[in-house]
Amino acid sequence: MTAMARSFSRLTLGGKILFTLGPILFLLTIGLVLLIAIAGKPIVDFLATNIWLVRFVVAATAVLLMSVPTAFLIIYMEMKIIALMNLRIGPDRVGPFGSLMSVIHGLKVLAKEDFSPTGADRLVFTLAPVAVFMSTIMALLVLPFAPGLFGADMNIGLLYLFAVSGLSVVGLLMAGWSSFNKYSLLGGLRSAAQVISYEIPLILSVVGLLLLAGTMSLNQIVVKQGGWFWNWYVFQQPLGALIFFIAATAEANRTPFDLTEADSEIVAGFATEYSGMRFGFFFFAEYVNVFVVSGLIVTLFFGGWNAPFPWPWPITLNIDPGSLGLGLLFAILIVPPLLILALAAPFYLGRSSMPWWQALIIGFVLFNLLVIVAITGWAFVSWNWVAGLMVFLGKSYLFVFTFVWMRGTLPRVRIDQLMGFAWKWLLPASLLNLFVTALALVVVNK
Amino acid sequence: MTAAPPHDHLHREVPSDDPRVQLDEAAGTFEPVPPYPPRTEREAEFYTLGDGEMFINMGPQHPSTHGVLRVVLKLDGENVVDLDPVLGYLHRGVEKLCENADYHHTIAYLDPLEYISSLFCEWPGVLAFEKLLDVEVPRRAEYIRVLATELNRILSHSLFMGWMALDLGGLTPILWSFIERDEIAEMLASLTGQRLLFNYLRIGGVNGDLNHDFMSRLGDWMTRATTQIDNNLGLLNQNEIFVRRMRGLGTMDKETAFRMAMTGPNLRASGVPLDFRRAHPYSVFPELEFDIPTRDEGDCLARYLVRIDEIKQSLRIIDQCLHNMPDGPIMAKLPRLLRPRPGRAYAAVEGPRGQYAAYVISDGTDQPFRMRIHDPSFVHLQAVGTLMPGHLIADAMAVMASLDPIMGGVDK
Repeated sequence: MTAMARSFSRLTLGGKILFTLGPILFLLTIGLVLLIAIAGKPIVDFLATNIWLVRFVVAATAVLLMSVPTAFLIIYMEMKIIALMNLRIGPDRVGPFGSLMSVIHGLKVLAKEDFSPTGADRLVFTLAPVAVFMSTIMALLVLPFAPGLFGADMNIGLLYLFAVSGLSVVGLLMAGWSSFNKYSLLGGLRSAAQVISYEIPLILSVVGLLLLAGTMSLNQIVVKQGGWFWNWYVFQQPLGALIFFIAATAEANRTPFDLTEADSEIVAGFATEYSGMRFGFFFFAEYVNVFVVSGLIVTLFFGGWNAPFPWPWPITLNIDPGSLGLGLLFAILIVPPLLILALAAPFYLGRSSMPWWQALIIGFVLFNLLVIVAITGWAFVSWNWVAGLMVFLGKSYLFVFTFVWMRGTLPRVRIDQLMGFAWKWLLPASLLNLFVTALALVVVNK
Repeated sequence: MTAAPPHDHLHREVPSDDPRVQLDEAAGTFEPVPPYPPRTEREAEFYTLGDGEMFINMGPQHPSTHGVLRVVLKLDGENVVDLDPVLGYLHRGVEKLCENADYHHTIAYLDPLEYISSLFCEWPGVLAFEKLLDVEVPRRAEYIRVLATELNRILSHSLFMGWMALDLGGLTPILWSFIERDEIAEMLASLTGQRLLFNYLRIGGVNGDLNHDFMSRLGDWMTRATTQIDNNLGLLNQNEIFVRRMRGLGTMDKETAFRMAMTGPNLRASGVPLDFRRAHPYSVFPELEFDIPTRDEGDCLARYLVRIDEIKQSLRIIDQCLHNMPDGPIMAKLPRLLRPRPGRAYAAVEGPRGQYAAYVISDGTDQPFRMRIHDPSFVHLQAVGTLMPGHLIADAMAVMASLDPIMGGVDK
């Protein structure tokens, strides 16, 4: 217990963390045990009657946990794809093909100085990234990832989503105002003008779809697009899909509408004065937002988790372990070592410089990969939600790729062109789309 | 403890009863410091804010000011009302340095004036010295000079393409145009020994003869230069956003262009076919065939397209140089220590940005008595005062990019 006798400041970093977290966790555990012992029954009863609360907490946690890897993946995609388009190599140092580069970026922003400029409004300055990040995360809650896999199936899901994602502009405006920097101010005001203008065509372009679907629940919209791919709403609402795509690009502040952080004009816009994890929140929010927008486009217009053809699965594999008898013993004890040896053999025999234990390690890793592929494949055909999740993510990342592609290719538009485009072209076009859809519905239903 | 008395940008104490200084302290804002006291009426007017206006300091550290240029913009919302460029962050006193170096040494000082088109900074100096010394440059040396400088022109223009796109928010074109730039830099490195500051021209000739490495690189590149450049242009010329932003932006008519003493592509984009290679022929340009591309619109797109056309003309000139390259020496016979006659000489060449000129006064010693350098970037930069106001910030940046200033040349 010499470490206990030492003063806290002389501890190493690991010691500091251990001696801070340890007691807290210990006290929390004691408290939890006491709570369950004293009031266990009423709490369980309460949760059983209000299962939505449990569901909400679990969903929020899952969404929070999902958002960071999603941001990492999209940041890496952006770095690598734009690098390839620019004829550069891009990140290639950390991890295979530099795939852990964005994780290192994440750790880097944590390690940086948390700086706020002289004259900044500290409270607003601190709350702004949180507001932006929260609005993005809350939007993820209603996206249907797979059959039965969503945070909440609201009957006003789409309305909730627009309302929540519109909140991000408040955060951007807060950041621009509180930074005490004119570049930030210009960036914040630009984002306010842009997001509010594009909100209108964004919502109007979906109204036609809502008339067709007859519901605002995202889950129901996806269910109605089941079957073959011509049931997807993009084929009934091509103009609406196009307008939605353009407006969503502007809503997510992506090139060619990334005026809020136009580096050649206003340095970094609202994020000019941010550093450390506060900037990290903006950064993560931007990329999670790209995913949300892509997911929304897929959900509304491209069939969500529906495959382009009627899904033949789930296939139930009727394997009863008890009926296998001696085969089970073989499958668990004898086949894996033999398979590892078989996988290791080519490496050992083919490359004379490789020692036997290295070949065995390679064989073991390959065996594990095989098992993972087999289990994933089995899950894919056995459970609808696995396949649905994969289809949904595949489609979404296609759109993420499109956004990245656009960023690599297009220059930025000017602010008056941007606003003119929204009010002069997108708004009338979305109204036209709405009227034509309504007219067609009236004619068909008669 | 009392607060330190306010200082101006030269660290001179300024009286604190000045209303502008008090405003700064009270609001705690970082307004741009005006030269105190205002040197001209224009300055006094500029540093007085109107209703709803604000200053913004663009530079000296800003992603798109092409070096360390500081522009104090007076904004009304996003509209640029007025501006005040502040120069001198890169001043190295090249002209004064040249007065303390002998004539050969001077060339090395002229070289880093503009780090994108170094050969064009050397050339007028060398030409002026040759006029003072009455040297006749061997024809092979002249052809090599033309060959190398035209390569340098393509290098400069291809970088311009990329920067123009970068200032409009396009990421990729700059990296694509760096392919051209890098190949030419490597080529010139094998000819001159340096990638960036070539220090290649000599009084009476050039530093080294054409070598095998250079010729093979050049021949290799010439076969695919046109397709490669067209490939890069495909990203921009057919891009609706790019063209729409550039067309009709920062329009400069003929008279304004003359009044602003514009030269080079910026003048030719306004419809004046003035090219010093034709107007005041030097070197072997009278023997070479090439056109002078002009445009009548005078906007940013015209300035961009004129430069693109010039790349094609430069390729033509390089082709002719390679075909007509004579044999012979590459240096005139000169004593090691040069002592020209007392007198003065002026020489100008047509560079990628316009007229590069040098004016030398000799007092008969081995060092120039006075040396003055005319740089097109400095002249062109004064056009931002008439072109930028009335535009949005984004367009103001594009206008500046289309003038293609290099701050090394501006600040000398």
